[in-house]
Amino acid sequence: MLETLGLMGAGFINALTPINLLMMAAGVALGIIIGCMPGLSAAMGVALMLPLTFTMKAETGLIVLGAIYCGAIFGGSISAILIHTPGTPASAATAIEGYQMTLQGKAGKALFTACYSSFWGGLLSCISLYFFAPLLAQLTLKFRSAEYFWLSIFGLTIIAGVSGKSIVKGLISGALGLLISTIGLDPVTGAKRVMFGQAYFAEGINTTCALIGLFSMSQVFILAEKKIKARAQATKFSDKMSLTRDERKMIRPTILRSWVIGNIIGLLPGAGAAIACFLGYNTSKSFSKHKEQFGKGSIEGVAGSEAANNAVTGGSLIPTLTLGIPGESVTAVLMGGLIIQGLAPGPELFGKYAPMTYTFFAGFVLVQFFMLGIGLLGCRGFAQISRLSDAILIPCVTVLCCVGSYAIHKNILDIVVMMTFGVLGYFMRKLDLNTAAVVLALILGPIGEKGLRNALKSSGGNPAILFSSVVSWVLIALCIVGILSPMFMSKLEKKAEKEATAGTAEDIEKLTEEDSV
Amino acid sequence: MKMKKTDIGVIVFMYLVCAYFYTQTIKFQADSQTYPMFTIALLFGLTTLYLLQMIVAAKKHGVESGVDTVFKDLQPKQLLVCLLGAIVYVVLMYFFGFYISTVIFMAAVLLYLRVPLLHSAIAIVAILALVYFAFGKFLGVRLPVGTVIKMLR
Repeated sequence: MLETLGLMGAGFINALTPINLLMMAAGVALGIIIGCMPGLSAAMGVALMLPLTFTMKAETGLIVLGAIYCGAIFGGSISAILIHTPGTPASAATAIEGYQMTLQGKAGKALFTACYSSFWGGLLSCISLYFFAPLLAQLTLKFRSAEYFWLSIFGLTIIAGVSGKSIVKGLISGALGLLISTIGLDPVTGAKRVMFGQAYFAEGINTTCALIGLFSMSQVFILAEKKIKARAQATKFSDKMSLTRDERKMIRPTILRSWVIGNIIGLLPGAGAAIACFLGYNTSKSFSKHKEQFGKGSIEGVAGSEAANNAVTGGSLIPTLTLGIPGESVTAVLMGGLIIQGLAPGPELFGKYAPMTYTFFAGFVLVQFFMLGIGLLGCRGFAQISRLSDAILIPCVTVLCCVGSYAIHKNILDIVVMMTFGVLGYFMRKLDLNTAAVVLALILGPIGEKGLRNALKSSGGNPAILFSSVVSWVLIALCIVGILSPMFMSKLEKKAEKEATAGTAEDIEKLTEEDSV
Repeated sequence: MKMKKTDIGVIVFMYLVCAYFYTQTIKFQADSQTYPMFTIALLFGLTTLYLLQMIVAAKKHGVESGVDTVFKDLQPKQLLVCLLGAIVYVVLMYFFGFYISTVIFMAAVLLYLRVPLLHSAIAIVAILALVYFAFGKFLGVRLPVGTVIKMLR
């Protein structure tokens, strides 16, 4: 206990270095900009910024990525409130009440509520990160080769089922990723495998290039295929960005409830901020003493949605850092960042690398304060940036994708690989295949392969070893749950969305349409 | 749910990937075959399962094209220009280096997408400055100089 407290304290001291603070501020600002632009997503932003973190210390790199993640989730609410277009799906519910408040001339109040609730949601989620992450990491100490194989399969079943319309298609995406992960030299014997006759592929597919291609470059093609339209004018507001003491008191229980909801949703692999915002909004409506205000600009509605989506951030880091199972696209990219730094999720992060991990946690706490400050001070400016046309974004993001891929090994072939994955990602997204599953499979593939082959080697080739321990059976059971959970999640999301939008059906129809872009 | 014709493309693509990797994998040493064979079998099995699902859906609910929903509001010319532009950009970068190719690529795409000249100029300068300071100065990345430029030097 004392040791943990010491690590926590040391983490804060390390996180408070000028370079870390500077990176937090830059990451949050960048995240908010990415989040408030309706064409860009948090996963895309984090993927695009991955190469910039290569030369940084591991903890600083992770803090930057965490800051972009938190900033982007909050940033989505700015365009949701001011131009009625959620920057990210996580702010879809915020747009319902937020825009109504804007129409009533209370945009400043709505933005303050979003920022204040996001801050508390994110800050409180750090408590569970500190508390649960080390406990869960201890579990993985019991894992041997066979268990690591099943863990990699579990990770895939979880992410493969998310976000797509067909679970089988999600699983196909994961299997495709596993197959791509076998490109290059055999990791155990060093023998040649599929390399397309190029020595370049000896080390396999560069995960970062694949990440940038699948998340960022494919988004460029998605933007390029649509007719470029001018964005709606951001509403100029003159009301004060603040809440009265009574209003703050009123939203306090809402924030606490949304924190619990967001955290649980974050912990559950397969769920995400988009589900949390609707559940948070819905719960705030159910418990509100002013139900009549919902649909007409309720600050409780904004607070419920925003606290819940930001509470997801800390929660979703728990399975990512401890088990290596990211529950959604952004955390899959974050895990890629962790692995690129030469770190592996699991007990080592809380043992050998504990100072680094606790510095990242402390940084994650401090990021919430930066989000509050930058969010409140820069709302007006960010609102203008959110109107940036897709026509400008297309070439700019293309250039950044190319430079980011090149920066890794200073090899133009990396850009070619990124571009190939960009085209693959575009078609995958169009045809409802899951790009996050491919990325995760590229990361988990080598872990699973080593686990499988070492297990078989130790048993003299007898596959029964894969089913010989209780932990293996628990993981197999979790794989089955992982495959079935998306059906439950999709019902939960639909139910929450239906209840949340009762009476504002037209509104949400418009939002969903814009969201799918 | 109706069967979508576009999904036939997905299935054909996955079978082709399986076939390619299988023909390559059988050439490997026995020990190196284990895991790739496992993943090929997995992908093949799942694709076949999806094919069966599609056949059942076709029998129960019929068949639809899927193209109109998958590529709704598609601007093929614009997409193609951006895609080809990106490919040409990489080729130009190889020959003429990062800065020249970036100016040509961005100016061409922005002009095609009808962005006002002033906005285009600001975007190009901003990106070049960002890359120069973030990658060139901060990360110390030597951006591609280009074979032609190298020769001229």
